[in-house]
Amino acid sequence: MSEYPIGATARILHYTHHDAFTERLREFGLIPGTLIRLLRKAPFKGPIEIQYRHSRIVLRPEEISHMKLERVG
Amino acid sequence: MQPRTIALVGTPNSGKSTIFNALTGLRQKVGNFSGVTVEAKTGSIRLAEQPTAQPSSPTDSTTTNARQTHVQCIDLPGLYSLNPKTPDEKISVEILRGEHSRYAQPDAVVFVMEGVNLEKSLFLYAQYAALKIPTIVAVTMIDSIQASGGVFDDIEMAHALGVEVCGIVGHKGIGIEDIRHAIAANDFRPPEAALQGLLSDISSELPRSTPHPEQESIEQQHEWARQIASDVARIPEHDALTLTLDAIFLHPLWGPLVFLAVMLLFFQAIFTWATPAMDGIDALFAALGDQITTLMPAGIVQDFVVNGVIAGVGSVIKFLPQILILTLVITLLEDVGYLARGAFLVDRAMGAFGLQGRAFVPLLSSFACAIPGMMSARIIASEKDRLTTILIAPLMPCSARLPIYVLMITAFVPSVFLAGILNVQGLVLMGLYALGGVSGLLAAKVLKSTAFHGSKLPFLMELPPYRFPTWKGLLLTLFHRTKQFLTSAGTTILLLSVLLWGLGAFPQAQISSGTEPIRAKQIQLEQSALGRIGKAIEPVFAPLGFDWKVTVGVLGSFAAREVFVSVMGQVYSVDIAESDEQLRTILQRTISFPAAISILVFYVYALQCMSTIAVMKRETGSWKYPAFAFSYTLVLAYTASLLVYQVCRVLWQ
Repeated sequence: MSEYPIGATARILHYTHHDAFTERLREFGLIPGTLIRLLRKAPFKGPIEIQYRHSRIVLRPEEISHMKLERVG
Repeated sequence: MQPRTIALVGTPNSGKSTIFNALTGLRQKVGNFSGVTVEAKTGSIRLAEQPTAQPSSPTDSTTTNARQTHVQCIDLPGLYSLNPKTPDEKISVEILRGEHSRYAQPDAVVFVMEGVNLEKSLFLYAQYAALKIPTIVAVTMIDSIQASGGVFDDIEMAHALGVEVCGIVGHKGIGIEDIRHAIAANDFRPPEAALQGLLSDISSELPRSTPHPEQESIEQQHEWARQIASDVARIPEHDALTLTLDAIFLHPLWGPLVFLAVMLLFFQAIFTWATPAMDGIDALFAALGDQITTLMPAGIVQDFVVNGVIAGVGSVIKFLPQILILTLVITLLEDVGYLARGAFLVDRAMGAFGLQGRAFVPLLSSFACAIPGMMSARIIASEKDRLTTILIAPLMPCSARLPIYVLMITAFVPSVFLAGILNVQGLVLMGLYALGGVSGLLAAKVLKSTAFHGSKLPFLMELPPYRFPTWKGLLLTLFHRTKQFLTSAGTTILLLSVLLWGLGAFPQAQISSGTEPIRAKQIQLEQSALGRIGKAIEPVFAPLGFDWKVTVGVLGSFAAREVFVSVMGQVYSVDIAESDEQLRTILQRTISFPAAISILVFYVYALQCMSTIAVMKRETGSWKYPAFAFSYTLVLAYTASLLVYQVCRVLWQ
């Protein structure tokens, strides 16, 4: 996701790993099928901001690596 | 008949605390849950049987009026799901399940939902509903839904959930009376029926192919939440105000500039604006001491009251202005939503030292004083990160070190200008600040890669919509911080300062009546337990270049670093109030340059502050952390001073 240009949209296909953190991501509503949009990247590979439905969250790029995505726009 | 205890439940940022403040006002108790530093807020809600009567004054809350009843209310820490991931969530879940050791399961719950993100709240509700606790739902921020062109139908929602639903605008107080009436009328109903039906409908539609059963239920609960949300409300995905503000505050160029400006203002506020108030408090206690000196007969009792009790209490209360200003600014920044933006901007830089973006606030405020710094570490969600931040806060160059730095630098560093503009004295001062700051960050790196290795919960943070602060909540926070600080930290510090006074005052020296007061003080100090201990442990500090007089200064300033200056005045028999210059001359004559640098380096590291120790104990809930912080900073101070002194001595010759 952090490689995408700002404004890109992707669909969550599935998770490649299951632990407390990916469970938390799913509890936040990042479940398979959800469309997410890359809103911003902090400089120097810092955190990224994504938007999905009514939520906006920031996380570090490596923390989203277990999310298998399909770019749709 | 009303329930006896109710709990406020909701996701973080849902507006729970605003409702809690509005319902309980000053009838609150703020403490910590035992063992952890998660804030436990309880309060009582006064219900009048005449629905129009609204409590206005907290003082009459104890009167037993037959027409009023009180309901105990607990504001549970916010949570995202019933599968807890953080200490706060764990407490909320334990209480809700009736498994907590101190708090019983509440009789009823006011479930607070964030109006602008109903799905998130309904997801939690889907899990919560299984507990079957009688419930009223309060939907907050309904004005934001309307302002952004959305609609919300509370009747439809009440129908869908099968419980009473109140719409709230927290910062305007709208809807609070509805909740109060619903509590008084006991309109709580267990949420089960409607939800169970819907849940089974959905599960029959979903294909059962996923290999993780618990995962399936998360997906189902979201499905249910999305359906209810779209049935009862239409909320635009974008909040125009938030988007506009973020375009500036998170802009690659303007974002960091605004952040720097905010931090500058923040630093100014605690460093500069608090000073007049602190000086005022100092003067007040000095005047009080003077008054008592004239009123009481001279002697050991007078000395105890003036120098033990009044000076001890004064040294605590002095920090209050800083704490109030800091609490005000941080609460304001947090309430409006800016703190999360700042954390986003600096997370990368803090990450280099193993810390989270949010750690910048406590560390920066520690430049003024470690006490408000450690207290503001509460904004860090990860317990390991919070503890690391608290443990390194005392290394940040606080303002109490400044008097020592200034005294030693002006005595030993020549005031010459490099390249015409840079004063060497200023450069040395800057160097000492940098040494403290960098050492603190490195210590964080070490702690994070050893004792506090790995955060269970990685950096994951919501960016909440910007919103207006509630002044009532702000004032209540200030009031409770003050109360907490004065009672809890005050008692420990008072005890320790009395102890230190005792060590300096006993055993009493035989002083002939004609002796000058300043000379008498010197004799007393030299022959006191403190002076004897100083002489006894002088060999320990000798490798650092400290003689017994400096050692007494170090011991005497155990309570507060800045005391070093006045103890130095006493051991050298100089009334520093009258002659700073004289003390500097004596220091130059008796202390070598390497020893002077060694003293400076020692104070960069050593945790010589009782208030810090007391507050650290309170913030971490255990003596083990202040003991560790005191030890590791002492080891650092000793080693660094030893190295500096021995190297300088070789170079100096």
